[in-house]
Amino acid sequence: MIIKRRLLLSVVALGIATSLPSFASAEGLIAIITPSHDNPFFKAEAVGAEAKAKELGYDTVLMVHDDDANKQSELFDSAIASGAVAIILDNAGADATVAAVKRAKEAGIPSFLIDREITESGVAVSQIVSNNYQGAQLGAEEFVKLMGETGKYAELLGRESDTNAGIRSSGYHDIIDQYDMEMVAQQTANWSQTEGYTVMETMLQANPEIKGVISGNDTMAMGAWAALKAAGREDVIVVGFDGSNDVRDSIKAGGIKATVLQPAYRQAQLAVEQADQYLKTGSTGLDEKQLMDCVLINGDNAAKLETFALSE
Amino acid sequence: MKRTLLIATCALVVLPVLTGCKIVKNPTAEEAALSEANMTDAERMAALVAREYTPRVVPHMETGAKDIGAVLDAIGQDLDTAGESLGIPKASEGSPWNFIAKGEGKVVASNRDSRAAKLEVDVTEDGAADLSIQLGPVIKGTALRDSANFYVFTEFRDQIEFAKLARALNDTAGAAISLPDGDLVGETVSFTGAFSLAKASDPVLLVPVVLSTGGDQ
Repeated sequence: MIIKRRLLLSVVALGIATSLPSFASAEGLIAIITPSHDNPFFKAEAVGAEAKAKELGYDTVLMVHDDDANKQSELFDSAIASGAVAIILDNAGADATVAAVKRAKEAGIPSFLIDREITESGVAVSQIVSNNYQGAQLGAEEFVKLMGETGKYAELLGRESDTNAGIRSSGYHDIIDQYDMEMVAQQTANWSQTEGYTVMETMLQANPEIKGVISGNDTMAMGAWAALKAAGREDVIVVGFDGSNDVRDSIKAGGIKATVLQPAYRQAQLAVEQADQYLKTGSTGLDEKQLMDCVLINGDNAAKLETFALSE
Repeated sequence: MKRTLLIATCALVVLPVLTGCKIVKNPTAEEAALSEANMTDAERMAALVAREYTPRVVPHMETGAKDIGAVLDAIGQDLDTAGESLGIPKASEGSPWNFIAKGEGKVVASNRDSRAAKLEVDVTEDGAADLSIQLGPVIKGTALRDSANFYVFTEFRDQIEFAKLARALNDTAGAAISLPDGDLVGETVSFTGAFSLAKASDPVLLVPVVLSTGGDQ
């Protein structure tokens, strides 16, 4: 029943921007806009935000922009037209998103950003992001250790328009480049598992001597691991980033060696809490841009990981 | 006559383009802005730290430093309570606690050959190391930046720029360290610095802004 209703809302919000039914909820409607739920990371965000919003008495509408800034812009128009009281957003591009968030602000709708930053401050009310630099350094330290501080490796980069791709790579290299390690290939796989697979295949053909692969996220790491496995190269050390259940299972099975958990579920909930606080008091009482630390996941603690949260 | 002409020429030429004339009092701000726009994030943050490290960062650390014994003692009881009373207020949920501390202790072990060189220091006089002082050149973490909390993330373009700030601060702190050669085991060191702690059980990795041998500081 709940699923049906959510679907209905999504369809209505996507299709008919101007004529949404009115909502029964006392607190109003929160629009939750993320990249595609095909990546469990974004699904966890959406689910986390939705659960918290419902708990606080809001109606929710879940929408996905598929990393398409034009589509995101249309979704913002839908959210504005449907009278949303707040928008929770994991955005489709650091530069391209500024205009959409501004438009919502001018319409009196505050936006609360998670996971990815935009390049301007003073437009969104909150930007809560994982401390990607800190997390990448944790991942890189583990990678260096696993590699025995030496050897050739390849790097899979995320989508170029996303600040997180650059910051993670920067965090990786601030550690790795201090050691006697040589990067023989570096290429984007656009956060995608299928691209991770094909890019890894190509890299492996050109550089069969690689000893390790460090990846900007877990889905690309999963793709790379599948390609390595298919090539009989399960000796290659792979480290990812996100802390997905898929990579957790791979770590437990002795496949991928490590990842870095971003507290995606809690982050989304926190954004909703701050939206609620802002709507009720006019302020979150916090700085706009906030960092949440990441946690290294390896064989020691993988069992405690579930849906982007670590149990104590 | 010549002088009048010169001044007139200067005025005409210089109105739109403030170059090459002594009348212009202070073109440095504009020039600085222009040259900063052409810098990489790392270069821009290094320039910022070069300007502010000595007049701003070091005094902030010296003024804000708590006694290391009291800080470690409080952390041993309860990290959150210690953070609230002796730490830097958290910028957000999910940040670790940051502490600025000073004190002295005896070096019980060291590793000065590593790229991430460290001194293991006993401050409680029980013969066991209570903290590591990072000597670099690889200095881990963002404790220095996050303790210098006049640097606010919102005021920086993005995480990349903010990360380069942390790196520039660490590099500057590391470069400022001047210690006698040798393993220094058995020596007393005086220090002022910062460290981050997410869990009470995590190791204390202090980034020093003041560090010297001898206990008379």
